[in-house]
Amino acid sequence: MVRAGKAVVEFYMLKGGNFLNETVDARGLACPQPVVLTRQAMQAVSGPIRVLVDNPTARDNVSRFAASQGWLVEAFEEEYGFRLELTPGSCEAAAAAGASGSHLFVLSADFMGKVDNQLGTLLMKTFLNTLAEREELPSHLVLFNTGVNLACGKAETVTSLQRLQEKGVSILVCGTCLDFLGQKKHLRVGTVSNMYEIVDTLASARSCITI
Amino acid sequence: MGPEDLRHILQELPPERREELLVGLETPDDAAVYRLGGDLALVQTLDFFTPIVDDPYAFGQIAAANALSDIYAMGGRPITAMNILCWPCELGNEAAVRILQGGADKVREAGAAVVGGHTVEDREPKYGLAVAGLVEPDGMLTVGGARPGDILVLTKPLGTGILATALKGDFIEAEGMAEAIGGMCLLNAGASRAAREAGARACTDVTGFGLVGHLLNMLADREIGCVVETGKVPFYPRVMEMAEVGMVPAGAYNNRAFYGDRVSAEGVDELLTLALCDPQTSGGLLLAVPPEAEGMMMKRLGAMNPPGAWPIGRFVRRGAAPLELRP
Repeated sequence: MVRAGKAVVEFYMLKGGNFLNETVDARGLACPQPVVLTRQAMQAVSGPIRVLVDNPTARDNVSRFAASQGWLVEAFEEEYGFRLELTPGSCEAAAAAGASGSHLFVLSADFMGKVDNQLGTLLMKTFLNTLAEREELPSHLVLFNTGVNLACGKAETVTSLQRLQEKGVSILVCGTCLDFLGQKKHLRVGTVSNMYEIVDTLASARSCITI
Repeated sequence: MGPEDLRHILQELPPERREELLVGLETPDDAAVYRLGGDLALVQTLDFFTPIVDDPYAFGQIAAANALSDIYAMGGRPITAMNILCWPCELGNEAAVRILQGGADKVREAGAAVVGGHTVEDREPKYGLAVAGLVEPDGMLTVGGARPGDILVLTKPLGTGILATALKGDFIEAEGMAEAIGGMCLLNAGASRAAREAGARACTDVTGFGLVGHLLNMLADREIGCVVETGKVPFYPRVMEMAEVGMVPAGAYNNRAFYGDRVSAEGVDELLTLALCDPQTSGGLLLAVPPEAEGMMMKRLGAMNPPGAWPIGRFVRRGAAPLELRP
């Protein structure tokens, strides 16, 4: 690592695969520099980021920025100030890390991307197809909100989900969402789950990716 | 410097007492006032700082409006101003000229004249002015004097510190904060005139200590407290958005920490409280307006372009904390 604001990329191994980790040393820098460097690092890598700061202002500002981008933030007090561990993805509980070995994919809509259009629907179908072909699979899929439609009725994604389930992926489908969308009797794959179980699964997960 | 360090330093200075000195270091007023004889007094102030926008001409205007504001906060009228310029010569003369032009134009708009100045070579540019003004001691506005029942009126939106931090961090473009730049260039002359006509009982301007800090300065009298309805406090566009992504200057955190339990903020979002402590550049006036004059005040300032008067709270008999922020 290099002092004074140089962002240094280092690789290290975590259980379950290679993670690209970036350490941002923002000690000795005044706001907004720590946030600016953190933003650059977030844009450059996809893995977790460690940020070192030496004052509470920078700790709070960097934490706020990371949280606003949907990253999980954990702050630790150190001799020099604070060490912030930032983990991508919006699953806050995901990095209650290490508790168990489960890897989650969360599907919170029946399309991929921010806009509900034909492209988003097509992408989701291809995504699940491709995922089903992989050898390394998540341990769980969690279906929320309109994500539950993917497992219901004539949805083109049902086959892929069935394949995933056959390969041992546990598919949790939000019961409240099924009720709300009137889909309960159309469910074709997965287990109806409640919020207690879903929260528990998220909270004990080792990693979590929201689609 | 933050309010805490400043207080420690100032208390080491010997008190200055003479009959002609109407306002000196003993009170947290915006400028010194010295009686010249008869019913005329001299108002003196100075202020300078590092650039908060990239355009040198706008920076000059803002620095001048900011320095002149202290005269207006005392109810005075500026007469002369002296430039203070710290300049890295490698930046060239042209930008320095633009800064001084911005300052001079603003001083002229205020009806005063730039009559001299001083330059220093420095690694970081800084600009500001020392300003002299006149005031009739009877018509002087001071930071103390608010009474229970008075309405608290703010004359410019808040958030310039947060936006300047965002600009520095490339989270926002100058165009994205045009309204705030316009606001910082705006003289507090009209607000000061309206305040005197409305019979405002106390006045200060919102600068480095943020709304909360300058308001606490208005509450030196132990009998007086203030309640602020935070939902009524105006912010420039995009301020809270920038605060949410971590563009809060260290000064706001330092201010908040220093005010401590003199401020009760139960139920108020922590980030909003922090934004209310955001150090302002060329902020508005903060006024204690008698309730019967509120209507007139709002009519006068509301008709200005841009409009500039927000009733954001009221002065009360002091409760547990001098200042209460309400959600």
